Amino acid sequence: MTSKHDIDTQYNDNQTRDLDMNNIKISAKKVQVYYGDAHAIKDVDVEIQDKTVTAFIGPSGCGKSTFLRSLNRMNDTIDICRVEGEILLDNENIYDKRVDPVQLRAKVGMVFQKPNPFPKSIYDNIAYGPRIHGLAKNKAELDDIVEKSLRRGAIWNEVKDRLHAPGTGLSGGQQQRLCIARAIATEPEVLLMDEPCSALDPIATAQVEELIDELRSNYSVVIVTHSMQQAARVSQKTAFFHLGNLVEYGDTGQIFTNPQDSRTESYITGRIG
Amino acid sequence: MTQTSLFTADARTTKRNRAEKRFKAYGLTAISIGVFMLVYLLYTILSSGLGAFFQTRVTMDIPLVQEEIIKAEKGLLKTKAYKKIIANALYAELAEAGIETTMKEKELLGIISGRAPAELRSFVQENPDQIGTTVEFKLLAGSFIDGYMKGRVVRENAERSKNYSIAQLDLVDQMQKAGILKKGFNLAFITGNDASESSPEAAGFGPAILGSLAMMIVVAGCAVTLGVAASIFLEEFAPQNRFTDIIEVNISNLAAVPSIVFGILGLSVFINYLGPISGDDWIKNNSAFVGGMVLTLMTLPTVIIATRASLKAVPPSIRDAALGLGASKLQTVFHHVLPLAAPGILTGSIIGLAQALGESAPLLLIGLVLAQGASAPDSIAEFFAGPNTAMPAQIYQWSTRADPAFYERAWGGIIILLVFLLTMNILAVILRRRFERRW
Repeated sequence: MTSKHDIDTQYNDNQTRDLDMNNIKISAKKVQVYYGDAHAIKDVDVEIQDKTVTAFIGPSGCGKSTFLRSLNRMNDTIDICRVEGEILLDNENIYDKRVDPVQLRAKVGMVFQKPNPFPKSIYDNIAYGPRIHGLAKNKAELDDIVEKSLRRGAIWNEVKDRLHAPGTGLSGGQQQRLCIARAIATEPEVLLMDEPCSALDPIATAQVEELIDELRSNYSVVIVTHSMQQAARVSQKTAFFHLGNLVEYGDTGQIFTNPQDSRTESYITGRIG
Repeated sequence: MTQTSLFTADARTTKRNRAEKRFKAYGLTAISIGVFMLVYLLYTILSSGLGAFFQTRVTMDIPLVQEEIIKAEKGLLKTKAYKKIIANALYAELAEAGIETTMKEKELLGIISGRAPAELRSFVQENPDQIGTTVEFKLLAGSFIDGYMKGRVVRENAERSKNYSIAQLDLVDQMQKAGILKKGFNLAFITGNDASESSPEAAGFGPAILGSLAMMIVVAGCAVTLGVAASIFLEEFAPQNRFTDIIEVNISNLAAVPSIVFGILGLSVFINYLGPISGDDWIKNNSAFVGGMVLTLMTLPTVIIATRASLKAVPPSIRDAALGLGASKLQTVFHHVLPLAAPGILTGSIIGLAQALGESAPLLLIGLVLAQGASAPDSIAEFFAGPNTAMPAQIYQWSTRADPAFYERAWGGIIILLVFLLTMNILAVILRRRFERRW
């Protein structure tokens, strides 16, 4: 009975998500973020599409990470942080009083700048999310989820023989792919990535970028990056932030070849930032 | 600019090097002094206290004749009759060993502890089936004879002493040669009850060890659970504002409050206020429960500070990772943060417990001292609610008594206390290693 219901929901989900392919997943309206008295994000309006990689670029301290963190309410953990305006996920304001950030974060996964695997086994790292959200009814299902996630994280072949070795024993690049696999194990709809490659060497970066491109078929990916080349390589849409303002947002090709704003041009040509 | 050679040090460098050497020498001196003091302290403790673990006893066969015992039990002063039995047995024992003596009964009994008749009587009462047989007893020697065996009492002072005579010491020498009188390991010091002021040879540390155990159970139960819960709330859940700042500062200050202040607090809050209100047996002076609660108050700041420090040391990235996966705050804390902080929390708690174990001032203030010779509580409820004592309080008691034999007992108690503290510290190190090595 339950399983039939699950299949139905899944089916419906897939249908709606297919329809949403070119549709807006997240829509931010007049978003302001304050850290105490400091106004970190000013009047940002942005629409993030489903099944697209959106890159946030900009100089250090421009607020791109802050804005990313407000998309799954990770800023709630900072006492002095205050968010105003509306951020709609599938037309529901995530800052509504009725929204439980815990539920939201299951839908909007996040990968951090520094690989941060739990000091547990590789298996437990992946299984943690599904366990707390009750995604698996038994051990066999959990095993399936772990394998599927590790495969989608493009790390299965490297770790399949040592699933019970500590996740912290992997190399930096492997750890980051493990973290990505962990994030997608909870079946999120949006994946936020905060400079996921900044701690990685070029080879690991290439692997992660390839992975991001693959993830696009299932998720809406938002990535913050310092590397303009990376933004150009992996993203379809790019947003340029400067001093807390969203200066320009458009197709990646257009931003890099034909920026409309002089500040964008200065940044991508290396004159500011 | 003049060209200088690298082979000769210039004035500045020489001065700098000299300063460095001087500083190293200061450090080395400081450490040497510290180590010397520690060694001297250990030497003093061991040389003064080890004697308490050995006790002189007189081995003799005592025939338990039924008529004599019945007669003794009929008398008014029962132990006096048992004295007679012991004296006769000792005369017989000496004759058997070929030692001739003309000593009077009273002087002869001076060699044996004053507690011996009572000991014999309680043996007879506990083992009535042994009446009619001859039983080998190892009776305690008197404290001065014991002191003579340990070198505390010397012949030169015998003439001036009312407590022992040259004749007694001569006899003791002969008895020792004959193997009747021997110094042996004194288990009774560790397990036995405290004794009255006149018989230090029978005094034991048992009730004090049990009392400390009872208080440690209360402290471990209250201070660790309360402390860890308070720290988790303050560190992970409480908002950062003026109110929590004030709490934080006060906790740090509480850790530096003299323990006797906690004793007075316990006296006024638990005993004078809560006790009469609740009418509860447990809340009264000299119960281990109240002692434990006072020590809990004293230990809480230590536990909270240690726990908060180890919670703070857990990298925030772990919290981010868990929250980012949709774990709730509580899940994040209990699944990830707490296990990682566990070694630090354990170490802090054990150090807090060790501190509480060695505390005497607040306990003396709330009267955690047993009557001389009182035995350890015999039921679980009495264990916590009845009159009790603690190791440091007992040590203090002994150190205030006049007889120098108690001095040895006090040092012996310190050795036992130190063994407990050392064990707890080693436990803390082992637990820390074990939990940290997992990843």
